[in-house]
Amino acid sequence: MNAQPAHNGSRLAPEPVPRRDFLGLSAVWAALSALAFAAIGAMRLPKAAVLSSPSKKYRVSLPESLPPGTPFVPPGRSVALFKDDQGVYAVSTICTHLGCIVKTLPEGFECPCHGSQFARDGAVTKGPAPRALAWHKVSVAGGQVVVDEGETVPAGTRVKL
Amino acid sequence: MNKNKYLLLVSSLGVLVLLIAAAVQENVLKDWRRIQKSARTEGGPIPVHLRQVVVPALKAADRCVSCHVGMAPGEQGVIGPPVTAAHKPVVHDPADYGCTVCHAGQGRATEKADAHGEVHFWPEPMIPLRYAYAGCGSCHTHIRVPDRATLGRGQKLVERYDCLACHRIDGRGGTIRPGAAVAVEAPDLSRAGASGYDAGWYASHLQKHQTAQTGAWRTSFAPIQDDDRRAIEVYLSSRVGAPELVEAKALFHSLGCRGCHKVGGVGGDDGPDLTRVGENDPGRIDFSAVPGAPTLANWFAEHFRSPAKVVPGSQMPALGLTEPQIDLLTFYMFSLRRSEYPESYWPKDRVRAERFGEREFSTDGPTLYATFCAACHGPAGEGMRYPGMPAFPAVMNPDFLAVATDDFLRASIHRGRPGRRMPAWGEKEGGLRPEEIDTLVKYLRRSGGGEPPATRPAEPRWVKADPADGRRLYDAYCAGCHGTRGQGAEGTALSNPVFLATADDTYLVETVSRGRRGTSMEGFSYSSPVHPALTRAEIEAIVAYIRTWEKTP
Amino acid sequence: MSTTASPPTRPPTDSASSLRGFWSNVRQAPRRILRSAFRTGAPTTDRTRSNFVFGNVFLHLHAVRTHRWSLRWTTTFGLGIAGVSAFLITLLTGVLLMFYYKPYPDVAYESIKDIHFVVPTGQFIRNLHRWAANVMVVVVILHMARAFYTAAYRRPREFNWLIGMGLLVVTLALSFTGYLLPWDQLAYWAITIGANIAQSPREITDALGVTDSFDPGGFQRQLLLGSDVVGEEALIRFYVLHVMLLPLALAMLMAVHFWRIRKDGGLAKPADVDRRLGPPPPDTYPVFTEAPQKTYQLAAIVRGRTPAVGQSPENTVPSMPHLFYAEAGVLMLTILVCLGLALLADAPLKELANPNVPENPAKAPWYFLGLQELVSFSAFMGGIGIPTLVVLGLGLIPYLDRETAGTGEWFGGPGGWKLVARAALFGLAAALLVEAVAIRFGWFREWFPDVPQLVITFINPGTILALLYGLYSVWLVKRYASTRAGAMGLFTCCLCGFVVLTVIGTYFRGPNWVFYWSPAQWPMH
Repeated sequence: MNAQPAHNGSRLAPEPVPRRDFLGLSAVWAALSALAFAAIGAMRLPKAAVLSSPSKKYRVSLPESLPPGTPFVPPGRSVALFKDDQGVYAVSTICTHLGCIVKTLPEGFECPCHGSQFARDGAVTKGPAPRALAWHKVSVAGGQVVVDEGETVPAGTRVKL
Repeated sequence: MNKNKYLLLVSSLGVLVLLIAAAVQENVLKDWRRIQKSARTEGGPIPVHLRQVVVPALKAADRCVSCHVGMAPGEQGVIGPPVTAAHKPVVHDPADYGCTVCHAGQGRATEKADAHGEVHFWPEPMIPLRYAYAGCGSCHTHIRVPDRATLGRGQKLVERYDCLACHRIDGRGGTIRPGAAVAVEAPDLSRAGASGYDAGWYASHLQKHQTAQTGAWRTSFAPIQDDDRRAIEVYLSSRVGAPELVEAKALFHSLGCRGCHKVGGVGGDDGPDLTRVGENDPGRIDFSAVPGAPTLANWFAEHFRSPAKVVPGSQMPALGLTEPQIDLLTFYMFSLRRSEYPESYWPKDRVRAERFGEREFSTDGPTLYATFCAACHGPAGEGMRYPGMPAFPAVMNPDFLAVATDDFLRASIHRGRPGRRMPAWGEKEGGLRPEEIDTLVKYLRRSGGGEPPATRPAEPRWVKADPADGRRLYDAYCAGCHGTRGQGAEGTALSNPVFLATADDTYLVETVSRGRRGTSMEGFSYSSPVHPALTRAEIEAIVAYIRTWEKTP
Repeated sequence: MSTTASPPTRPPTDSASSLRGFWSNVRQAPRRILRSAFRTGAPTTDRTRSNFVFGNVFLHLHAVRTHRWSLRWTTTFGLGIAGVSAFLITLLTGVLLMFYYKPYPDVAYESIKDIHFVVPTGQFIRNLHRWAANVMVVVVILHMARAFYTAAYRRPREFNWLIGMGLLVVTLALSFTGYLLPWDQLAYWAITIGANIAQSPREITDALGVTDSFDPGGFQRQLLLGSDVVGEEALIRFYVLHVMLLPLALAMLMAVHFWRIRKDGGLAKPADVDRRLGPPPPDTYPVFTEAPQKTYQLAAIVRGRTPAVGQSPENTVPSMPHLFYAEAGVLMLTILVCLGLALLADAPLKELANPNVPENPAKAPWYFLGLQELVSFSAFMGGIGIPTLVVLGLGLIPYLDRETAGTGEWFGGPGGWKLVARAALFGLAAALLVEAVAIRFGWFREWFPDVPQLVITFINPGTILALLYGLYSVWLVKRYASTRAGAMGLFTCCLCGFVVLTVIGTYFRGPNWVFYWSPAQWPMH
């Protein structure tokens, strides 16, 4: 504004404003970009770096006599373990539709929320579920079964005890 | 008015610069990022993100594995700087228990100084690596640990009987025999105390030895004497996979520390309870007399060197320990932790110790004596003199044992000496059980030599003499050591009510006349440069005078 | 201001042209949205600039023109705006912290640990929150001093001075409530002490023997803690106060504060402001040259002399952009300072709160350490009596000082800066002397162990210091025959006493609140 000449004009005429105020514009843009940068930085906060959930990998002791085809759900876990002559496998009991815990039935699984039904190997037989129930990775260590809910394996994968 | 624009411009640019600095610090300079970037597996670089072990039941959310990547659950074959190496194989998988359960430190932290606890305000720094096995003490209470001599004897016997020819114990022995028909090793016994072993091992070994013609069964095994076999079994029960920790605990059980200190509710009351001393907060300890870094390890070590210097006013005498002993005791102090974890996580030994009352120490005579008595009465019962304290009696003195009946010994241990340092071990909380007192009495009897005294008169108070005569004699010959009213000074306190109640007249008369060889107590039936020989009647008069304190203490 | 008239509604002639119209509307929608958001177009002329200010909900608390006096840096040093900026920073960072903070004992501590160690940017944002809160306290106190020393509290701004004092109290309360939230030792014991200060009227009621029937102290403490110990109830109360009630109260008071600045005629200016400023710079655009007698009508509802009425219209400039450059500049400067502090020093986090092991010394935040020093003499007088007196005295100043000389000038009024300098000297000396006596010789309890508590409550180093200050300012009133002189003396003395007590409490008090020359001499506990 300093470059502007003195005025004697009428107040009714619009005040001439300098077309280019480099100082002012750069100050405004510097402030805006600093605030934008701060906002981007702050946006990182809501996404947690670590989740407070316990490890998804855990050991399970299978009951001594588990008849083939009978599901065994370890207390507090959302997985059903089966044992047959080909080995052990674990089917997730989390419905692929909207995440309810499915009920284990002799003929398979049934979701109480929206009525999806699954066969014993997890394949969808009825209802809105878009995918078959996941099979989780199972390994054997020291006589115990280790289930890794974090890893999915193709349906039909079994592990020999 | 341009100066406001300059203000805006300059501060905005400054804000931008500082924000970029903060972003660099957050996203590039973190140690764990640098470490994870430098580590890789055969399959390529590992993903860079915070890692953790979460065990809700143990309240563990340990981010240690963000730097120690190789120890993270599910990580295998990480190649990188040493910090990323995998944990060495241990019984407890870090993936199941987390890190801080054993190592202490601040598991939630992600910076080295914070995590290892070297920061001012963190109350539980990591257990030094040198004492890493002390972490077992967070959950375990190793039971039936003998004193060091018993332990050492067992170990020597194991070596002498050549058990290590086949068995592996604590990383020694058990080599595969070249040329043998079957190159099979015998079971590893390093954890025999925790996992148990075949109670009939000796019979089956002996049978194999007798039927075998050649080989190890013939050359390396031979019949073992019963006594030796018991010592070997004591040694085996103490094998829990942490030999040095057991060694440290054995040393604690050799120095009589429990005479004054409680651990796990058992022990004397003169010193502080040590049950959780390993969890002491270094921020709340006086380090002014401790040279070196203000760490708990340095404090313990300096305290063992000279207790009264480190803790002004401490009653604990300087024990004159060697540096290796001090190191072992420091180790043991670190293992005194007992964190509060759900009982479902308690190991067998802790359940047995805290729920079933099983002893942490072995309950044989030598260990009981070394654990509870040795500090005051001397490792060999020779009595002790500490500066500033009255002398402690020599309980294995043959002259003493020759006149003291077993009942007197038992009653003395059971009821103690009220008002003196000797606690009532049979009556106090955290004391000894009757069978343990019996064991102790037997041990005293065995170690001090000699038989129990012959039968006594039916009436324990048979002395009939004039206390007035006794008083004159007492003041002349006894008061110097035992005090004018028998309150005890250099000598024992004769007016102590429990002493008077448990000691019969024979004991008193015999003790005065025979004295105790090797101590300051002379026999008064003989003359000496400082006193004439007293007659039997005179001694009885003294005893009669002593008895008067029973009524008027 | 709509320059484009809405297109006349024509009945659709055919589908093609109506569809064309629709597409043209779609194409123009973004521009129209923008134009409707900024109702007045680019602020390129005096007129549009004015519209820009009063047509915007966030800006309309400003006058459309700002006096050049207000824009001088030395007039305010931007302290008010700096305080608002610090509040905005704490507000934003505080909301971010709420994503992770869990107000429950022990869990709270763990969540702070998580914020500290694993939340992306968490530690930095917590540092920023803490430092901005500290900056806010400092700035608010300085802003109050500025308003006082320029006599800006005078008519018609008396009420705004009271609002400002309310803001100071709420600011301190916000800081104090935030202190408990981490649930560490520092927090726990600072709040324990604070709660017991609230209970300190018992010192009086106990001495009178009426506590059983009349117990305002116990009531206050229970109101604060929701229980008889600092526990989960206290934590949730402090949390609600910290994130909800107090910020709301602060925001409302702030709104009134700003509104009153506007309605009370802008910032206080000296009567001869035109002479001091000199002629307007040559680039100033003329304002009211053609209608000097008439003011704009809004003046009718504005009390006092407005910047543009009857005088010096040429000494105003459009608020847009001149005032906004200054305000944005101060905002960014405040952010800069807070960022720098946050990068340099981490917010402290001590060990988990342990109700059985008190911190020794347990120190409150630094701005309460002066109070804690007074409390160490008498809980009631130090924690409640003297602060109440100070607040009452400060609040009454504008109603007692009805003079006009020196308004708007630094150290305006009789005596000027020389009086302030002498008062500062007196204030420092008196505080140091009283402290020295108390530290060196102790007080009544050490001299006469049987002295009744009521005597100590009313005669202790704190009350004596207050009395000295009071007498000194009464003497000043007499000496200069001016209330303003007395007020300046009292305010300066109180400020100096605050500084001395705070410094002693911060740097020279060790375990058991014993005086030490340096923390290196502290015995370990």
